[in-house]
Amino acid sequence: MEVVARCDARGRTTLPIVRASGQLAVRRTGAASVHLVATAFGPLGGDDVEIRLVVEAGARLSVHSVAAAVVLPARGESPPSWQLVRAEVAGVLQLAPEPTVVTARADHRAELHAQLADGGELTATEQVLLGRVGEEPGRWTGTTRVERDGRPLVHTTVGLGPGAPAWLPPVAPRAYVSTVSTGGGQREVATGVDAVRLPLPGGWVGTAWGDELHDAVTRLASVSPRPVDELAEVTR
Amino acid sequence: MPPDHRIDDYVDPYTPEHRNGGPLRVGLGGPVGSGKTALAAALCRTLGAEYDLAVVTNDIYTTEDADFLRRNAVLPDDRIEAVQTGCCPHTAIRDDITANLDAVELLESRHPGLELVFVESGGDNLTASFSYGLVDVQVFVVDVAGGDKVPRKGGPGVTASDLLVVNKTDLAPLVGADLGVMRRDSDAVRGDRPTLLISLREDPAATEVAEWVREQVRARALQTAP
Amino acid sequence: MTAALLTLADSRLPAGGHTHSGGVEQAIAAGVLADPGSLAVFLRRRLATSGAVAAGLAAAACRAVDDADPVAALGALDAEADARTPSPALRAASRQQGRGLVRVGSRAWPHPAWAALPAQPHHPLALGVAAATGGLTPRDAAHAAAYLSISGPATAAQRLLAMDPITVAAVTARLAPEVDEVADASAEDLPAATDPLLDLLAELHAARNDRFFAS
Repeated sequence: MEVVARCDARGRTTLPIVRASGQLAVRRTGAASVHLVATAFGPLGGDDVEIRLVVEAGARLSVHSVAAAVVLPARGESPPSWQLVRAEVAGVLQLAPEPTVVTARADHRAELHAQLADGGELTATEQVLLGRVGEEPGRWTGTTRVERDGRPLVHTTVGLGPGAPAWLPPVAPRAYVSTVSTGGGQREVATGVDAVRLPLPGGWVGTAWGDELHDAVTRLASVSPRPVDELAEVTR
Repeated sequence: MPPDHRIDDYVDPYTPEHRNGGPLRVGLGGPVGSGKTALAAALCRTLGAEYDLAVVTNDIYTTEDADFLRRNAVLPDDRIEAVQTGCCPHTAIRDDITANLDAVELLESRHPGLELVFVESGGDNLTASFSYGLVDVQVFVVDVAGGDKVPRKGGPGVTASDLLVVNKTDLAPLVGADLGVMRRDSDAVRGDRPTLLISLREDPAATEVAEWVREQVRARALQTAP
Repeated sequence: MTAALLTLADSRLPAGGHTHSGGVEQAIAAGVLADPGSLAVFLRRRLATSGAVAAGLAAAACRAVDDADPVAALGALDAEADARTPSPALRAASRQQGRGLVRVGSRAWPHPAWAALPAQPHHPLALGVAAATGGLTPRDAAHAAAYLSISGPATAAQRLLAMDPITVAAVTARLAPEVDEVADASAEDLPAATDPLLDLLAELHAARNDRFFAS
């Protein structure tokens, strides 16, 4: 899947490339926004999706999804499902998909590799729920690496779910949300109940967790520097 | 292993006299409540106008000593560093002095003309003493209220410190301590090393101790003179 | 070169480790660490995250000593360490311990590589250089880093909770296979495993003024 956002001569964003294949379709839903649409159930164990996002200087792009992604295991010994997002950002990119629900026995790997050019801004929010109601939690591993001019700003891997080495009682949450934002300096740390915001050069990364997704979302909002209404839009 | 890592090639060039000048580092140790912090505050008040000085505190808990010094020593905040000792005050001044060296070096870099640094240990017991990797000279502070048997009991602080201070002599009649016995016992275990019997209540300037510190600063200046 | 490795991993090596609890002091305050069982859980999650990251960085730093441009190689690793440690409190703790290790390591094993390190390097970088200059391998450096990620915190728990030192030693000893596993798995790689709980605990701890430990 690939989306390219370009700034035209009049300073408006155009999307010269919007294409997809396989399990994901992509729809233009605004001058500078697209929604991802799953074409089948899943992701399913063994699925492998790569999303390439290019936001050229002066352009903006918002990426959403139309519904929560429900990760299902394949039959028998289910291999992991993978989703890799590669972003090259010289403009402004907002990544705000709906939550990922990882069902029992499923093992999902989500990676975001973002390269920011000078002036590039990224805000990426991730929401994860392990297991549907009354179900055993699945496994989720999320890696975020953001570089600016080739220098790493943040590189973290969070593993959740049974068997993840640092997912151990009494702190083994079903719900996890995080936002990484490079859209402005926030030098201070903020802490809350099961929530923490840490500074990055020219940005911040916030993380929160809880038993239910809405708890985690509220906790992340409590430590996030963004206005509440904007956050509500991002994490709706 | 490279040849210069063999023990036969090892020469330690890092003795205190070879620290390339830098301030005199004075350790202030002694049991809890003997008056280390009060003595540090008194010395800062008395010597603060004469020397470019700073203090490192090693409180076992909180930054209480540092706060006390800020209030009582007329020393600006940027001349007081508090280190955490990980529950082991004697480890931090004797066995692993890293945190204290960091604090001293931070003060040195912040105040390039620094002449004198007091390193105050957390209250410990009679066996605690400073490593000479951290300080140049050390003062051990005991008090009369602990009983006149303290000097006789000895311990590295009492016997081997460069200066033994017996504080709170004004309390001697109240606690039945015999200052003569303390003086005699101290001299017996300390040989040529000096002992001062003082009362910070009666002499808030710690005059005699301050004079001893001046001598040490002068001696170090001679030692490290180019 | 086993003895050099033992020297590096010895808790008595005066590099400042004894003043750091690796989050244990705050974990106790937060009620997630109270007894040998919860200590083992805490050490496991620390080993799997910051231990793995430290092991990878230490091994890479050990190799960087032989790089054509060790200054650039170690500088790049320092940036990778920062990227894996967004918590300012954890960065400060790591750099403080790195500085302490440079102080003792550079005197024990003088070598130009020490000068190639950035000022106040992250602890795993100093560990990697110490390993290289002490004649050890990158894998040794990874093992020392993985072991140190739990040995200091275990001692801190013992001190703070007045736990039976023999119990604490047993807990640490029984984690040895996992320490080896993490070290071996990390030695050829730069893992980025993180535990948001440790970030939160570290920041809450740094904001306190009533603490025994520096971290």
